[in-house]
Amino acid sequence: MARQFINKNIKIMAKKSLIQFKQGEKVKIGYVTCGRNFRNRLCELGLFDGSDIEIIKNDEFGPIIVKIFDSKIALGRGEAAKIYGEKI
Amino acid sequence: MEKKYNLVIGLTGNPNVGKSTLFNALTGAKQHVGNWPGKTIEKKQGEFTFQNKKIRVVDLPGSYSLTAYTEEETITSDFILEEKPDVVVQIIDAQNLERNLFMTIQLIELGASLVIALNMVNLAEKQGIVINTKELSTLLNVPIIPIDARKKQSFDDLFKAIFKKAKSKEKIKIKLTYGIEVNDELEKIKNFLKEKEVSIKPKELNWAALKLLENDYRIEQKLAKKPYYFGLKSLVERGIVHLNNVFNKDINAILANTRYGFIKGLGREVIKRKKLYQRRNFSDKIDYFLTNRFLGIPLFLIVVWLMFQTTFKFSAPLMNGIETLLTFLGRHMFSLLEKWQTPQWSTSLIIDGIIGGVGGVLVFIPIIGILFLIIALLEDSGYMARVAYIMDKLMHRIGLHGKAFIPLILGFGCNVPAIMATRTLETKKDRLLTILINPFMSCGARLPVYALFVAAFFSAYQGWIIFSLYALGIIVAIVMGLIFKKFFFKKLSSPFAIELPPYRWPTLKGLLIHVWERVWIFIKKAGTIILAFSIIIWFLASFPFGVDYGSQESLAGNIGKTISPAFKPLGFENWQSPIALIFGFVAKEVVVSTFGTLYGVDDIENETGTSSLSNALQKDFTPLSAYAFMVFILLYIPCMAVLAVIKRETNSWKWPLFVVFYTTVLAWMFAFIIYQGGTLLGLG
Repeated sequence: MARQFINKNIKIMAKKSLIQFKQGEKVKIGYVTCGRNFRNRLCELGLFDGSDIEIIKNDEFGPIIVKIFDSKIALGRGEAAKIYGEKI
Repeated sequence: MEKKYNLVIGLTGNPNVGKSTLFNALTGAKQHVGNWPGKTIEKKQGEFTFQNKKIRVVDLPGSYSLTAYTEEETITSDFILEEKPDVVVQIIDAQNLERNLFMTIQLIELGASLVIALNMVNLAEKQGIVINTKELSTLLNVPIIPIDARKKQSFDDLFKAIFKKAKSKEKIKIKLTYGIEVNDELEKIKNFLKEKEVSIKPKELNWAALKLLENDYRIEQKLAKKPYYFGLKSLVERGIVHLNNVFNKDINAILANTRYGFIKGLGREVIKRKKLYQRRNFSDKIDYFLTNRFLGIPLFLIVVWLMFQTTFKFSAPLMNGIETLLTFLGRHMFSLLEKWQTPQWSTSLIIDGIIGGVGGVLVFIPIIGILFLIIALLEDSGYMARVAYIMDKLMHRIGLHGKAFIPLILGFGCNVPAIMATRTLETKKDRLLTILINPFMSCGARLPVYALFVAAFFSAYQGWIIFSLYALGIIVAIVMGLIFKKFFFKKLSSPFAIELPPYRWPTLKGLLIHVWERVWIFIKKAGTIILAFSIIIWFLASFPFGVDYGSQESLAGNIGKTISPAFKPLGFENWQSPIALIFGFVAKEVVVSTFGTLYGVDDIENETGTSSLSNALQKDFTPLSAYAFMVFILLYIPCMAVLAVIKRETNSWKWPLFVVFYTTVLAWMFAFIIYQGGTLLGLG
């Protein structure tokens, strides 16, 4: 249990949350810490650990727009802040 | 109702793939709209004939997946597993094949006899996406028919495929496997179910096991009452924890990963992408302005302003037309009834009660029709999703979904279409919350009442006083929204994730069908609930028979006199006010005409009439109590048409009754604070 906990934290620390990425950057999703139902919903849309997305729009406030496969999805800022990934 | 159909098909697919367009094209006007049993989600059914065969089509709610996380999402699997349609048609947007295939896989796993209608192939090709349909069809073992949902001519192949599918009993198999670890857990659950549960058919076992792992609401509900549930649950939980340890991912991510891995493999074989793709397309160009951080909100406000202008400009003459028609009808009815020498009470019932009551509500039809035409236009074109995006940051603060902004804005016109418009919200909770605070958006019918009172008491500051009422309504709505959120809807949360579909032209047919649906729902309500209320109000106003309609001696008048002490602390103790408030329940503007009748001022429409009504009111009200009265009008019970739609939209009497109660309590409290506070400050 303890090792897993540490692993998770290292993972989160090594990655940035989606709201820290700039417009046009491509991101490989590393970890999603939203509530379970919403995480499942994101899975359906194609956003889960290991999937690639693109940041279409990120103003300093309000939801961000990401591209998952060929569709644009607007994500609430609070939710986007709980999704971590790294630039590809 | 029993009708023989040769075939029953279910129509399913992701949102924004043209499902409604296809449904409308297939069935045309032969549609029946109701609710799914026990749910507030709309159930649309229709029928059409092809080669002398009668086919029933059921439109299933649009979704991205078949796994249900809430009660509302169980509809599609319920329908496929329990009603067993002959064929399930999934509509797929060719521009976004991979995401759509996620649901296809689940449909195959569920064992649906599936036919895929591939829509918007030409749009995809314009973007440089070419799909090898034949190859995909072979790989999935599912017939895939390219169609154009807007053109009926392109449906022949689809129909042929559907009939062929309906006859074949062959089960679709795909080469998708979740790997040894997951399969082991699935086996364990399957074996457990095989032993303990007989109601699940062998071919549905795999699906059931998979859904148990996914924590699906539907299967949980089905098995929750079984004696073995506890054992099963712990088996499933152990499996989930085990898989979590092995993959260091949660179960749904593991399954999604496998499914999307499979889909990507398919994609590599059947999708060709040309590089012209990098160029910004039409939708991106429009989005540059409409979702712009600085321009987005101003542009949206212009759209709202245009929406109101158009609605009221075009509906005014139509409403006048209906009114003239009703007056004409009333007059002819009156002379006809006199000729037949019907008793006076029945004449009054028909003229004052039914024509006056139901007619007064039917006048709203043009507003509803035009407003919904515009909303449908915004919705179908794809703009509504952008509105949700740009408004979300503001709405989020008060705990509402970005999309909830539209119904709230509409409330300033009329709360009836506004509440009907909450259908665009996805979750039950968001809808309910938006419905509950909507009546505080001061509708157009309350304006005549304010106008009467400000002219009589605040001639110097008319604009500001009216503005303050609108502002108060908004503040109360926000505060109540926060309170409801905190106490009622704590557990449920609906995070914001919404697809911004490419912009497209809506079809005229689709728009008109949508408008007709809304108008028809309203007319049906006018004929039932509103008719009943009208008769009750009429009875109160005319009993005991022989007294003047709505006078002091009538039952309503007596009620008014009896309850008027309750309004004394609010500053209006005259007997006319409570009666006017009671009649205001029919429609808020009726308050004005009721005052006219009760004060014996005949023609309130003309210049002198208004001032004589003003004079009469000035005897009974002070500016302070007049303001308290206006606040009461703003906040108290919405009109009966609003209650009727709340009943319909929430599918129960509980919420309309709750609204009656809480709005009245709030209205009393606010009027009390204003009157008593004002008196203390020496404003009285």
